[in-house]
Amino acid sequence: MASDAAAETGSPLVDRWTALDRGWQALALGLGIVAAHAAGQVAGLF
Amino acid sequence: MGVAAAARPYLPGLGLLAAGALLSHLAAGAVDGLQPLVVAVAVGALVGNTVGTPEVAKPGVGVDKLFLETGIVLLGAAVVVEEFLAAGPTVLGLVVVAVGGGLLLAELIARGLFRLDGTTPSLLAAGASICGVSAVVAIGRVLDARGSAITFAAATVLLFDAVTLVAFPIAGEWLGLTGRQFGVWAGVSMFSTGPVAAAGFAHSPEAGQWATVTKLARNSLLGGVAVAYSLAYTARSATDPGVRRLWAEFPKFLLGFLAVAAVANSGLLSPAALESIGRVSDALFTLAFVGLGLSIRLREMREVGGAAVGAVLVHLLVVSALALAAVRWLL
Repeated sequence: MASDAAAETGSPLVDRWTALDRGWQALALGLGIVAAHAAGQVAGLF
Repeated sequence: MGVAAAARPYLPGLGLLAAGALLSHLAAGAVDGLQPLVVAVAVGALVGNTVGTPEVAKPGVGVDKLFLETGIVLLGAAVVVEEFLAAGPTVLGLVVVAVGGGLLLAELIARGLFRLDGTTPSLLAAGASICGVSAVVAIGRVLDARGSAITFAAATVLLFDAVTLVAFPIAGEWLGLTGRQFGVWAGVSMFSTGPVAAAGFAHSPEAGQWATVTKLARNSLLGGVAVAYSLAYTARSATDPGVRRLWAEFPKFLLGFLAVAAVANSGLLSPAALESIGRVSDALFTLAFVGLGLSIRLREMREVGGAAVGAVLVHLLVVSALALAAVRWLL
């Protein structure tokens, strides 16, 4: 999860995530949460 | 190995952060006027300095900085752009003067008054003037500083993080500052991002937002300061200068904060969605502040050197006094 835990795990998704700088991880998570809220709004949840 | 298996080592620590966050909300709900974010730091510090962080929980607890930075990205949803644009030039001017003047002042105090030499004054100056421990490590890398010098400077910064985290909200209350004044004052004067945000939210939600935004502006100057230091120390570590260094040290989550602020102010999201994003941001801050408390080690702080503490203390007193006068006058 943290960028310094960069050992290969065999999962491309996990490897790509752990190779990211923490700032990029935070940016991706934050935008993901906003996108989920936008999707929820379209679905009528908000 | 799948995603679930890779996440497993983090679960005990995440559980510990979640338990601390839940306890903080329950305690804050039971006592009138108590802020959950402040209780979170106190709960973390209490656990960290009594039973300590269990070995099995350390990987998960280390995710606290990711939670803090993600919480800051989402804080963009609470920003009213017009308000920040109105005060922006003043705050930015304050930040640039505080970082530039603060660096020179810290170097002068540490070398002239306290007779510190080598890279230590520069590491202390970076930590005190830009963004705490991450600036110490970044500038340490640029200057090829010894590991012991970096550890020493980082421990000094952490000591002041702990002290200012308690002292600033008390001082803000005593001085009768508005939320905006207190937030900008803490954002300009204090050291690391986590304690700045925690101190801001301890005062009021408005102060928390201003403290975080002001601190982000300061953090964004790290790349420029790294380039300046690598030039000042000449070719010693000039292997990666210029734009690449600027970009490498730039806090990328700041771009996320700006993107979320732009989306929130575009009118695309409903007030209910924005409110929900704010709640997620608060939850992430609470988790991060439990981790911040867990990282405060009172025993290690006693080992920090007297000259370094003296130099940083004089610097903090001068910068915070000037910044206080400036925010009272300008904001």
